[in-house]
Amino acid sequence: MTAIDGRLNRAQFLRIIGGLAAGAAVPGLLSACGGGSGDSDTLTLVGVADEKGPLDVLTKAYADSGSGITFKASYAPTDQVQTSLRAQLGGGNAPDIHALYPGSGSAMSTTDIAKAGLLADLSGQQWTSAIPENLKTSFQHDGKVYLFSSGLTVIGTIYNKSVFAAAGVQIPKTWSELISTCEKLKAAGKVPIALGAQTQWVTQLITYALVASHVYRDTPDFDDQMLAGKATFAESGWKQSMALYMDLRDRGFFNDNPNGTTLEQQTAMVGTGQAAMAVQVAPLLPAFRDAAPNKDDIDMFPFPSADAAEQVYTWSGANVGIGVHAKSKNKDAALKFVEFLGKQENINTWCEVVAAIPLKRDASSKIDPALVSFLPLIDAGRVAPVGQRWPNAEVQPTHFTVIQDLLAKKITIDDGLKKMDEVYRKSS
Amino acid sequence: MSTQVLEASPTAPPERPARRRPRNRLGPPWLFVAPALLCYGAIVLYPSASGVLYAFTDWSGLGDWSFVGLRNFDSLLHDDRALGALRNTLLLTVAIVVVQNGIGLLLALGVHARIKSRMLLRAVFFAPVVVSPVMVAFLWKYVYNPAPNAGLNGVLGAVGLGSLRQDWLGDPSLALWSVAAMVVWQHAGYSMVIFLAGLEGISKDVREAATIDGAGPVKRFRYVTWPLLAPATTINVMLSTIGGLKIFDQVFAATSGGPGYATETLSTVLYKEAFVFGRYGYSTAVALVLALFVAAVSLVQIRYLRAREDQT
Amino acid sequence: MNRYRPRTLALELLMVAAGVAFLFPVYALIVLSLKDAGQIASSPLGLPKPPTVDNYTEAWSTASLGSALLSSTLITVVSLVLLIAIGSCGAYFLARRATRLGYGLYILFLLGIVLPFQLGMIPLYNLFSKLELIGTYQSLILFYTGIQLPFTIFLYTGFIRALPADYATAALVDGASHFQAYTRIVFPLLRPITGTVLILNAVFIWNDFFTPLLYLGGSAHETIPVRIFAFVGQYVSDYGLVFAGLVLGAIPILLVFLLLQRYVIKGFASGLKG
Repeated sequence: MTAIDGRLNRAQFLRIIGGLAAGAAVPGLLSACGGGSGDSDTLTLVGVADEKGPLDVLTKAYADSGSGITFKASYAPTDQVQTSLRAQLGGGNAPDIHALYPGSGSAMSTTDIAKAGLLADLSGQQWTSAIPENLKTSFQHDGKVYLFSSGLTVIGTIYNKSVFAAAGVQIPKTWSELISTCEKLKAAGKVPIALGAQTQWVTQLITYALVASHVYRDTPDFDDQMLAGKATFAESGWKQSMALYMDLRDRGFFNDNPNGTTLEQQTAMVGTGQAAMAVQVAPLLPAFRDAAPNKDDIDMFPFPSADAAEQVYTWSGANVGIGVHAKSKNKDAALKFVEFLGKQENINTWCEVVAAIPLKRDASSKIDPALVSFLPLIDAGRVAPVGQRWPNAEVQPTHFTVIQDLLAKKITIDDGLKKMDEVYRKSS
Repeated sequence: MSTQVLEASPTAPPERPARRRPRNRLGPPWLFVAPALLCYGAIVLYPSASGVLYAFTDWSGLGDWSFVGLRNFDSLLHDDRALGALRNTLLLTVAIVVVQNGIGLLLALGVHARIKSRMLLRAVFFAPVVVSPVMVAFLWKYVYNPAPNAGLNGVLGAVGLGSLRQDWLGDPSLALWSVAAMVVWQHAGYSMVIFLAGLEGISKDVREAATIDGAGPVKRFRYVTWPLLAPATTINVMLSTIGGLKIFDQVFAATSGGPGYATETLSTVLYKEAFVFGRYGYSTAVALVLALFVAAVSLVQIRYLRAREDQT
Repeated sequence: MNRYRPRTLALELLMVAAGVAFLFPVYALIVLSLKDAGQIASSPLGLPKPPTVDNYTEAWSTASLGSALLSSTLITVVSLVLLIAIGSCGAYFLARRATRLGYGLYILFLLGIVLPFQLGMIPLYNLFSKLELIGTYQSLILFYTGIQLPFTIFLYTGFIRALPADYATAALVDGASHFQAYTRIVFPLLRPITGTVLILNAVFIWNDFFTPLLYLGGSAHETIPVRIFAFVGQYVSDYGLVFAGLVLGAIPILLVFLLLQRYVIKGFASGLKG
């Protein structure tokens, strides 16, 4: 071991540390053109995975249209997008355009983000005139529009036509017809209604479909009454709706073990013809078709949630959409892009990809054939956007757990509704 | 931090005799630990310390906040869901620590023996460790399909154990254990590697001496191998305890805490409060309690286990 | 006791059976990745007939896994280099300073293992945001270096404590500087535990999904998990693609383990005595 000057050693050491730091910096040089750079011709966009399909098409179309804009887009599952967006919004580093949910009562819902002053006003844009009256609260906060959503989605009954044909049953139009249809299907050895309640958000769909008819048909302003403290879940049509939901279970119309069955398994059951129906949202139509040997076997009809056909209301609400960050350095460019998305042909494109119903329809709107039976209800205003105006983000997840506990027979309906009422009245 | 170096630098070649002086500082200078302290301080300590501040506020994660004193901790004491989550977390941790290390030990003993496939099997048992925990959960949802002819139930039926078929993730009294099994599957290989290392550290002479003394395999394990595995056991128990108490990814991806609240853990509660319900202040209080809890448990464990090591 | 006896054969068979049982989820992963959506629905865990590699080609191209592979590799390698350099030096200091302060520092580092990362997540994000590091590789490299230091230091310190200090002392007495003694004598002796540090940190960094999404989402530097998760929708998830991407993403790390396997076990073996 030779002796070397101590000073040199220190210098050596520092050089090595410096070298390491430089090593860490090199990637930085590579990333000089990276995100967060605020170039006026680059828009950053963070969406949920369900928006990837339509936005891949539309951002490309916009970039190719001579707009001079390029996009840096990323998509991820809902939970993670919500978490990272909230961190980014809090840290003052939000993307120019990001996923946004209609109404209030979820981590990234329009009202909650608009309240914090983090959304750009879209009110002046032309497409906003197409927002239906009964959905205005989903798009707006304090009278200003903050959400761009291409259209409506519905909850209904997705079913397998060949299973219906083999069992010799028709589309049920009323609750009692639904019961007898299910009985016949069961007798034919089929699961009448597949339910994938292991995937938590799926638990809410049957409640929402029933509540549309049993609460909102007679009390269209139920949300306002609830917010004003004049109504409760426990003493409303919610109770009857949950009773009907559990009646379907007690009659053995669901698959065994719905709490252990995932959305994917629910989809597969209907697709492969093990089960006849599933109460689901329209954006899942493509997944059911993929699961079926013959795509044409999959169709959809409004859930017959009332005793008379003309009393049936359907759940319908705005699709997940996007918002523009209020403090974006590229706000003008981002607003222009939203304006572009609002053009009828682009609304049509978006809706076609995700099987939604355009905000406004024209001759060129291609409505998914499975959704045609919903159009009369939508045009007649027989729709209710249940669950888009919760006062805090805990009501909806509480509903999920209440349904899972009810399916597991761990609690009573009264207990469950009481719990939801308690959570509803919590401050956010 | 540089005083040490400045002291050392004058002792350059010219002052050779000084170097011969017995040094009471043969330990490395502070400069060695400085980068680590700096990095750790900036990335972990400083942010965590500022995070703690929020535990005393009503911050939603966006916008303004005000101090609320100890209110968040008070609500925590009355929060049935958080208390249930605490119970689940403890049960899950105990199950993981016992079963994961038990299986890990058996696997290690197996692949330490003179069997021909031992190198291949080591890789097989370790392979799940390298897969992302979230993906493991997605995968296991197929394994846990409750239908009688699918996934694990299908396998049970095929080998004549049809009566053991279960609604793995849907039965509230079973779901927590199903999640534990999934975690054990993923991490048993990790425990195995640590035990294996312990086994390789036991000299052959010791065990051969025991064999010559006429000790059978069970006795040999009980009186020779097991005591000498004490350090490996300490590390395994400590790491799996910390992992169990902090568990998040697998639970959240597999069940989101359901059915009902059957698999809710402290980490899922704290995640939901912070990023779903928008009660960031409260979630920080939960995080703080979780951190104190984990620290206390590991401290007790390490004391006990180290004392046990010293006895051997 | 080294002979292959009937009892050894019985053990061999038993262990192979355990291995097969262990591989069942891996089998599930592979068969799912070789099926289209229709086959996944009709028979998720049956043998694929016919198997299709479309998922692999599509995952590779749609998710641009090629560029993600570069990002992931760069982030993982640089983080590991920093972790090993900073962590081993720091641990060397902590292991050789038998003072109260040294022990206190060691405990301070261990505290990092028990802290839930959520506690500091938002303040750290804000810090990086102020430093304009969001969207850059540095942000993630710094994050992983900091967050994995406690575990790294824990492993190294245990190992170094078990090493005799004599060699380094002798070198110092011979007039070598601390730095020389460290790089020429101590660090080469750390090779086994460095293998352990390498593989365990690599697994964590390579698979981490949330932080890269938070820091790099929307940038051109997304890592493999971020790209793969883009296929997981609330409504429609293409699990064939997801699992194919997962297999592709796991191969590099599994190779690293196979290469380092000997060191990993040795590293633990020698570290345990600390």
